[in-house]
Amino acid sequence: MTQTTLTVNGQTRTLEVEPRRLLADIIRTEFDVSGVHIGCAHGVCGCCTVHIDGIPRLSCLTFAVQCDGKEINTVESLGGFDATHVLQQAFKSEHGLQCGYCTPGFLMTLAPYVEKKVANGEMPSDEEIREAISGNICRCTGYHGIVAAVRKAISNQLEGQQA
Amino acid sequence: MKAENPRQIGARVQRFEDVRLLSGVARYIDDIRLPNCLHLTFARSQMAHGRILDVDTSALEDIGYPTWVFTGKDIGDLSMKAHQDVPEMQYSEQPLLARDVVRFVGEPVAAVLAEDPYLSEDAAEMVFIDCDPLPVVGTMDQARDPSIPPIHDGWKSNVFIERQMKGGDLEAARANAAYVVRRTFRNQRQTGVPMECRGVVAQYSPGDRMLTVWSSTQMPHLVRTYISEELDLPESRIRVIAPEVGGGFGVKGQVFGEEVLVAWLAMKTQRPVKWIEDRRENLIASIHARDHAHTLEAYVSKEGRLLGLWADISVDVGAYSTFPFTAAGDPGMAAKVMPGPYDFQAYEATFRALASNKCPLGTYRGVARPSAVFSQERLMDEIAKEIGMDPIEFRLKNIIREFPYKNVLGFTYDPGSYAESLEKIREILADDIAAARETRHSKEKRIGVGLACFIEQTAHGTPDFTRRRVPIETGYIAARVEMQPDGTVVIGLGLQSHGQGLETTMAQVAADALGIDPKDVFVRHGDTLTSPYSVGTWGSRGGPLGGGAVHLASLKIADKLKAIAAHQLQSNKDQISLGGGKAYITDDPSRYIPIRTLARQALRNVENLPEGMIPGLEAEYSLDGPRDGTYSNAVHAAVVEIDVPTGKLKLKRFVVVEDCGTIINPLVVDGQVRGGVVQGIGSALFEHMIYDEQCQPLTTSFADYLMPLAPELPNIEVHHIETPTPLNPIGAKGLGEGGAIGPAPAIANAVSDALGVEVNETPLTLNAIWRLSAHIRGEAS
Ligand code: FES
Ligand code: FES
Repeated sequence: MTQTTLTVNGQTRTLEVEPRRLLADIIRTEFDVSGVHIGCAHGVCGCCTVHIDGIPRLSCLTFAVQCDGKEINTVESLGGFDATHVLQQAFKSEHGLQCGYCTPGFLMTLAPYVEKKVANGEMPSDEEIREAISGNICRCTGYHGIVAAVRKAISNQLEGQQA
Repeated sequence: MKAENPRQIGARVQRFEDVRLLSGVARYIDDIRLPNCLHLTFARSQMAHGRILDVDTSALEDIGYPTWVFTGKDIGDLSMKAHQDVPEMQYSEQPLLARDVVRFVGEPVAAVLAEDPYLSEDAAEMVFIDCDPLPVVGTMDQARDPSIPPIHDGWKSNVFIERQMKGGDLEAARANAAYVVRRTFRNQRQTGVPMECRGVVAQYSPGDRMLTVWSSTQMPHLVRTYISEELDLPESRIRVIAPEVGGGFGVKGQVFGEEVLVAWLAMKTQRPVKWIEDRRENLIASIHARDHAHTLEAYVSKEGRLLGLWADISVDVGAYSTFPFTAAGDPGMAAKVMPGPYDFQAYEATFRALASNKCPLGTYRGVARPSAVFSQERLMDEIAKEIGMDPIEFRLKNIIREFPYKNVLGFTYDPGSYAESLEKIREILADDIAAARETRHSKEKRIGVGLACFIEQTAHGTPDFTRRRVPIETGYIAARVEMQPDGTVVIGLGLQSHGQGLETTMAQVAADALGIDPKDVFVRHGDTLTSPYSVGTWGSRGGPLGGGAVHLASLKIADKLKAIAAHQLQSNKDQISLGGGKAYITDDPSRYIPIRTLARQALRNVENLPEGMIPGLEAEYSLDGPRDGTYSNAVHAAVVEIDVPTGKLKLKRFVVVEDCGTIINPLVVDGQVRGGVVQGIGSALFEHMIYDEQCQPLTTSFADYLMPLAPELPNIEVHHIETPTPLNPIGAKGLGEGGAIGPAPAIANAVSDALGVEVNETPLTLNAIWRLSAHIRGEAS
């Protein structure tokens, strides 16, 4: 057992953690977070993506003890119960989700990407957007609506800046 | 006045379910957490075929924490049985935990429980399964080889079932043929891969003697019935809940042994029990799909008219028959749908389900149709080539144009847009076809265009299942619509929504019938306690049967609202319309009563009701499918670019023209089509469940079982033609599966077009394309 302090969505707790426990499992069971999903548990599908100190990481390939003292954010921190984040809204209007199981992973992968593009004033091509989600698998949507949602989230904000 | 009542059916309404899915608060099966819960891990067979000598669990005795372990000896005769009730069928029975023999890698042998999932996994690894190997049946040839012993006791051969279907005079067709074209086609074994694996949680509460089972399933009522019958418990004391379900695609459209066993374990241990499948288990031991081999022979007149078709269909269905569609499901479906959208009246098919030491085959999006249409549409291109006709011309010459059409097997097709779809796609592709022609002699880059034209029987009714004599037995969907005193509506829906957006589309249907805002309609589904008995969501029945049932039940309530309004406005019921939240006189909309007021009167201030009217605003309707179902149609087209030196294929364009009758919500329809198409692209290019000669599965992770990723896909273009069907109250046909049916044949035809070779097998991996293009590089293939 290793003493580990984690901050998940702003809530800090110190726990005794077995070194082999995956970050995904600890977040889900100890912090009662349901927005971290396991799709493969071997680092291919991206479902379990969370932010560790602001950077998208696979929580199924990370041990909780490696994150001692770190800040972890899950999809719950993006736009709250009403899913108000611009990317979440764009996923809704462009039908970027069906069963929703992969969705938190996509959102956590894409939120910093969208932010960066907007900050740089860049509108990426569809190919670039597709490349940005190459580490996430969605079995329902065929990615079409996800690509459209990213395009919309970025272009809406770029237009907003101009106005 | 209609302006105040914009039709919701047909509107691009954003989905109501999205907010909880996007915010992360949605609760899937692994989010069901119960106090005092035991976690289950299966010890599964590592051998494909073997006689069990011993299941040694003694290592668990001094493991240092509490464990519970059960083997085949502890569970009596609990098993999965799925029999097609015909004399030709050889029955298989799968004990919930293997008793004497294991028949595929991944078959559950022991159930190990502990108070923590990490600990149950540790413990399961210490169970030693001692097996004597038995000869393995791993190929279709082996399954048909009489010298290899049957894998089930008492069987005469490794053929579950072999039957025939025929219609018309095939001898005459053969005699009159100017061309006879014969080809053999093969589609690989796959699995459906919902992103959420399966999972079951069960809890027995002695207080109210209620067994509650949560399962990531598409068919909660059928799970309940099977558990009730197998465990001999009253169905009224079992509640099955499908929580948020992270994709199904037919994989979760069977009743699984694990569901029954977890329920039994909860009763036995008197503790909640939870099982969450991992990805390896899901890939090797949930449900596999496809694995078809077809030989077709077509008889064609001098003028290019199809006269008849002969088919021989084999499917490797694995080790056991699955419930409720059975081992006969895939081959029977392939034989039934092979005539497709073409006009000919002579057909004969022999179809068989072959047993093997592989994971059982079950339903996966399209069920046999992706394979049947692959063969049919590849054959159409081959015939066109052989008789020197343009493939679209050849199809147009043979396409069915008059409806209703009675096909060679006696199935009646309702109106569709078969010829229009073909013509439309020809227009859309004109430039690509020209561009492809330009590259015909290139040794570097070849462009090819291919298409697949097909129909899909959707929303089949009870007669279809009665004919098949399979345990699904029926196909109706029920909806219970209940208006509350404040005028909002709750629908208890017999469907289960796992991505299809039924909470939105069904609300749209009810809103139209009741003249209210769809936001005021709350759709509850996936819980046997709150939904009327139904068979669940599969077979492209949600839109037509769920929508139809909601529509008809809502009309009953609308009728009552109108009667109350007429009474109070001193008018006649026939003169009342509902819209914009009001009941108004059709010719004088200024005279109205808010529907909310009427609802309150019907349920609270009942003294205002017309004399003799019974209080309440509740109605239920069960809608069965039409006898032969209703037929959606589509044409899919692929434009591929092949780099000859490397064999690399780029999918430049994918176009769909589809007709599913009335569209309830274009956002959802497009999403279903595109999602299906990309799964079909997976079948065409990547996905392959590979076994070695000993029937060891080799593709046991996402690193080996490859699925389409975003960068290798184009945007999917979708065009609609709407031919509402007269067979459904709202004119809708099914569309959930169609997307997955066309891509493999369209892409194979495109590759064939590009390279000038026959393409009769999938998947078209990099290696396969490299081999198929060898002749262009001047190599021996
Ligand atoms: S669950 Fe972590 S990558 Fe799949
Ligand atoms: S929405 Fe179901 S897997 Fe992406």
